[in-house]
Amino acid sequence: MIKKGLFLLLMGMIVFACSEDESTNPDESDDAFDRKAMLVNWADNIIVPSYTAFNTEAKNLETVINNFTENPSVETLQQTRLTWRESYLTFQHVSMFEIGRAEALNYRNRVNVYPTNTSEVDNLIAEGNYDLSLPSTIDAQGFPAIDYMLNGLAVTNEEIVAFYTTNGNAQNYKDYLNTLAETISTLTETVLNDWNNGYRDTFVDNTSSSASGSVDKLANDYVFYYEKALRAGKVGIPAGVFSNEPLPEKVEAFYKEDISKQLAIEALQATQNFFEGKHFNSATKGESFKTYLAYLNTIKNGENLGNLITAQFETAKTNLQGLNDNFSLQIENDNTKMLNTYNELQRNVILMKVDMLQAMDISVDYVDADGD
Amino acid sequence: MKKLLYPAVVMSLILASCSSDDEAGDVQQDVDVPTNYSFERGGETTVQFPGQTTRLQMSTELIGSFNNFDTATEESLLNMFAHVEGANDFENTDLNASGKNIKSKTAASADYFSANATESAEIKADFESYISDQVNIVFPNENTIAEPGVAGQIADGSSVRYVNEKGVELNQVFAKGLIGALLTDQILNNYLSTSVLDEASNRENNDNQILDGDNNYTTMEHKWDEAYGYLYGDPSIPTENPNSVLNESDDRLLFNYLGRVDGDEDFEGLAEDVFTAFKTGRAAIVAGDYELRDEQVAIIKENISKTIAVRAVYYLQAGKEAIANNDMGGAFHDLSEGFGFMYSLRFTNNTNTGAPYVSPSELETFKTQLLEGNGFWDVTPETLDTISETMASAFGFTVAEAAN
Repeated sequence: MIKKGLFLLLMGMIVFACSEDESTNPDESDDAFDRKAMLVNWADNIIVPSYTAFNTEAKNLETVINNFTENPSVETLQQTRLTWRESYLTFQHVSMFEIGRAEALNYRNRVNVYPTNTSEVDNLIAEGNYDLSLPSTIDAQGFPAIDYMLNGLAVTNEEIVAFYTTNGNAQNYKDYLNTLAETISTLTETVLNDWNNGYRDTFVDNTSSSASGSVDKLANDYVFYYEKALRAGKVGIPAGVFSNEPLPEKVEAFYKEDISKQLAIEALQATQNFFEGKHFNSATKGESFKTYLAYLNTIKNGENLGNLITAQFETAKTNLQGLNDNFSLQIENDNTKMLNTYNELQRNVILMKVDMLQAMDISVDYVDADGD
Repeated sequence: MKKLLYPAVVMSLILASCSSDDEAGDVQQDVDVPTNYSFERGGETTVQFPGQTTRLQMSTELIGSFNNFDTATEESLLNMFAHVEGANDFENTDLNASGKNIKSKTAASADYFSANATESAEIKADFESYISDQVNIVFPNENTIAEPGVAGQIADGSSVRYVNEKGVELNQVFAKGLIGALLTDQILNNYLSTSVLDEASNRENNDNQILDGDNNYTTMEHKWDEAYGYLYGDPSIPTENPNSVLNESDDRLLFNYLGRVDGDEDFEGLAEDVFTAFKTGRAAIVAGDYELRDEQVAIIKENISKTIAVRAVYYLQAGKEAIANNDMGGAFHDLSEGFGFMYSLRFTNNTNTGAPYVSPSELETFKTQLLEGNGFWDVTPETLDTISETMASAFGFTVAEAAN
């Protein structure tokens, strides 16, 4: 509350400062930046292509998992893991777009809440009767639950495969794994179809600069994702920033062990790409937060804010690259590096959530959860 | 300004105010307010409140059992509420051995309920109904998605909330309501009541150091400590220096929210004010200075009452924001907490009137407004604003101060 209070105070001072400006330059408050061009670039060159790519990956994962459950072996298990990793990486490119149908479906939470609740997974498998649309099953599905089922059921590959072959409940294990993959695939297709069947137009036409406008909403979703899911979820929480002790078991892909860094870098690159308007899987760039800031000519500490944010993305990325592939090991062996990385990620929270949103006259629409 | 209220300053304020009052002056100069809540006689502490700690632990375990879908029953939860000595109602076996329970002290203060058995019974029945409805209405719909008119579960981000058919999370209403009906009522309207502190020959005995049976305290000292225990009695809070764990203790009842309100810069210093008043009042009792004691009572009553009101407004406003963002799960959680704190306003005490800051009949109207029709599913922002503004203005703060 203190932070929020300070923020409001700051906001108040800024509003006051702005109103002074307005008296000398009354036309400045509503800028003439082409919001529509930015929305079109976001939708057509980033969001829809990302979902399209991930939808293909998700379908592929469903097929490969289906094949694994029909022919369980160490070999098919290893193939499945590779596909799971590829699709998990691509998912990092859509996770930030929790808007429209994705928001209504609670999409990000259904696909990637971790750590997964292994006792809940075990229970549901034992019962053989579940409804993954229930919010209470959110921590028993998605990529983290598949991680547990492919990597965490036992120590050796042979022992894991045995759950799908000789285990007395093998059919339930197969069914649950298939349902997990099918659920990710169905959810993703639902979101993608919505974009392709009308939502894209709704989204790009809603150029209002109010809280309900597409720019304001997606900016909030984006910053929320960066702050909560990326900075806190992937790095801060396991490093113990929000608890008394580090929590190395809370890293992403805990059971796979060696891809938590890769996932975090992919996610950071995806958020940077979006900030810079970079088309999915292409070097071309279009209208973006960064070009918007350039248009507004927002200067902080004598530098263009957009350039500062890009530079900070690079610094954070360099820090991430210096960490162990397995964040759990990094935390256990030298958590200082993990905390330093968190600090670098945090700097862009300030630059984007405070400086950028203020420059664009966008109000933050979320508050820190109460925690009880 | 509030931060200046450190003990030394308080002392000098006391001394300064005394100088104009020659008669009382000599006595008041003897009031020695310690840094910590630490009082001894013959080298041993005089501070004890095990009964309060027991009831806080019972409350915490009962609240934590509300969502034990597989093990809790209506009977098991009601038995925790009205525990009988020796019954195996709690996981914590020390609690089972205790002859104390929650129900007998719910809406049971000397000032508000000693001659108001009807309302006391109604309030106890409210809490029992939260338990019964949880088991009979929410439990059967554990695996149903909540809808207007249908109990069940609803997502709140990556959490899940279980609500009744009106969107009410009964465990939250129970917990936040109990902060008023048990803790606040016992502190403000019972143990800090003149009728309790000065009952029978308490003053005379206190003046003459006549101790309470075999105990190391006078009855008046003990009554004061029992008030203290309802606020600071959670085992994770150090008795002598509770604010050292402000916002860091395991307490999830009144002390927790005292910390939350103190963390809002509009109310910063409130937790220190309350603690300073508690130890100053206790020191005044030791010194036999009842005027000074009663000044501290007034400070405690005002600030604890305000704590409840600030949280009531805070949560109703948070719920309003969440509804605007289409986050119904988050909204129901906030509104349920807000409803519980609003319920607790019944037990606040305005020392100017000796009554709650908002009248019980007005609170009833608010409850009806929030719960009519499909309850939280269709409550309007206007209703939430009107109720928030009425509550805030009764306490002299603004909705904006509480909401941020």
